[in-house]
Formats: sequence, structure tokens, C-alpha cells
Amino acid sequence: MMTRDECLDILHRYRRNDVVVVTTMGCVRPWFALSNSRLDFPSAGSAMGHAADFAMGIALAQPSRQVWALNGDGSMLMSLGTLVTISQTPPPNLVLFVFQNDTFEVTGNQPIPGAGSISMTQIAHGAGFARVHEFREKTVLEEKMPLILKEAGPTFINLRIEPGREPPPKLDYPLSQVAAELRAALREE
Amino acid sequence: MPYHVIARDFAGGEDALRERSGRIVRALIELGITDAVGVPDNVTRIIFNLLDAEPDLQVVPVCREGEAWAIASGLWVGGRCPMVIIQNTGFFESGDGLRGTAIEMGVPLLVLMDYRGHHTLNKPNTDSAATFFEPTLRAWGLPYRFLDNGEEAPILGAAFEQAQRTRRPVAVLMT
Repeated sequence: MMTRDECLDILHRYRRNDVVVVTTMGCVRPWFALSNSRLDFPSAGSAMGHAADFAMGIALAQPSRQVWALNGDGSMLMSLGTLVTISQTPPPNLVLFVFQNDTFEVTGNQPIPGAGSISMTQIAHGAGFARVHEFREKTVLEEKMPLILKEAGPTFINLRIEPGREPPPKLDYPLSQVAAELRAALREE
Repeated sequence: MPYHVIARDFAGGEDALRERSGRIVRALIELGITDAVGVPDNVTRIIFNLLDAEPDLQVVPVCREGEAWAIASGLWVGGRCPMVIIQNTGFFESGDGLRGTAIEMGVPLLVLMDYRGHHTLNKPNTDSAATFFEPTLRAWGLPYRFLDNGEEAPILGAAFEQAQRTRRPVAVLMT
């Protein structure tokens, strides 16, 4: 089994400068520690379960660049229909990572509904994603990432990770300002 | 059986709805809307059909209305000019999506909402979707105006302008 930090480290190394990265919940702070890009969007203090669909909107608007959503399993469950919504209007440039540790980590590792029994991978297949991958070992993730990132998506990547101890993320900056700055950065680049 | 089940039709009839939907779609195109995100109901269904036929406008159907706020917000951040089309019942469901994306992110959004049950207000068997609608809009701080028949273009235009000026969602209610 991998840790989230190991996965994020691999993702960070394969992230190109023009890729937009939307993070939420347990990924926000660790990603911020790795990355200082104008194209990062920390979805902290925003709507529960709506990072993947927000990223989908950016991907539809910016078809010439990849958009990554770094989502949690609890967050994905809160808006599971989004997987079908993405399949219905599929942005080929969207890569949706779901970090599955079977817990609501930032609220104290309570088990998510279906912990230990659900398969996000099968759910993504059933929702209509054509590109679905699941990883449990960092060496395999590392090996496959270059090829996966060349695929026409939308791509769903289920990362089976160990539970962690991230607290809830908090921004010391208005989200409206973060959104305006990302919009401006996307217009300039 | 003490009750009857009947169809819930648009009060003005199908022809009137079709004409009105055409005026709404023409106004939206004139405003430069690039994407319509939402869920159709039995009033907005014709609008969705007409928008779907427009080559320069993308319709993004969603499974649940909360997604509409998030997707529209992402589209705006990405440089597009989206709008949201939902029914008041879906608005009730989608509160945290509205708060956490369009409102918190300061997204100027034109929102067209069908006011289900408006004609039942102050009558026996009032539709609770109508009873709670305007108080809920006010509670969320969402400015709104009514889409008067025949005045679609100026009303939608004024709401669009208000949304852009204030960087907030502004609702237009279809009765």
C-alpha cells in the first residue's frame, strides 16, 4: 500500500507547467507543500464534494491543457453522479485522481460508507469512463504515469492509499481572489 | 380512492411555452452565453432542446443541481461565459454547491430557475416548492427578478449585467 505523500511526490514530478491542478480536503496542504504554481487551485472552504465537477468545468473551458482533480474517496461519494456527468460531456483533458483510504480523514478517519467493500474503480467503469486505472504500489504508479498522461481522457485513476492524519485545510485568502487569479493566469498563458 | 393523480402542465399551454422559450434562447445567445449547465424540467425542456441545436453554445447536463454551480464556476474560471438552468426544487437541493463555488468564488452567473408551483401560492394545496422558494433565495442573498412574458430580453439582460457588475449569481424566475 502507498501513502498519499508518495503518490503526490510522483504526481508532482510528472506535472507539466501548463497543467491546472485542483486539490481538495486531504490533498490541499500536502500539494501546497510541493507546488507553488499559479495554476494550482486549492478547493478549501468550498463546496463539499464539488472539486471534480469544478475541475471538469475548467477542463471544458481549457481544452488545450490538462486539468487534474486530486479528490478524496469521501468527497467523490458526496457527488458520485459527477462521474456520469463527466462521461456524458467528456473533456479529453481531464484526469481525475481519487485517493482512496476508506476514511473521512480530515474529520478524524471515520470510515466512509462502504469502506472496505466498494470499488471506486468499478464505479468509474460503470459510470462510463473509458480510461480507468487503479494503483496500490508506488513503483507501478511511477512506471505507468508517463503513458497514462498521454491518453485521451477523461481518465480516472484510483490510488489505494493508507489512512493519514491530515487536518481540514483552510485558506488565509478569499476563495474569490484565488478564482480570479487562476482565471487571469489562464488568460495570460 | 380519495384523490386523483393528474399531469402537471405548463399553465399557458404548449404553443405559448414554445414561443416564450424561443425568445429566451434568442436573448441568451445575444448576451453571449457560451454554456448552459443544468437539469431540465417540464417547463425548461424546450429551452434545453433549442440550446442543444445551437452550434456555438454547449449544453452540459448534470445529474444533480449542485454540480451545475461547480461546473459553471469552473467554466467561468476557464474563461467561458456560462449560465445555470434549474428548477426551484433543484435549487433547494444544491445549497452547499452554490455557497461553496459560485458565491465563494465570486462567479458572475445568470441563473434561470423555473418557479414550480407559483400559480398555487395563496391557494389550497399550495406547492411547498413555491412556499419556500423566495424566502430561501433571500436567505442565500441571491438577487432575483421575475421573467415577465414578452419582456424576456431586457429582463435577462439586466440580470446578466447585474451578475457581471457584482460578481455574483443573479436569478431570473420563470413563472
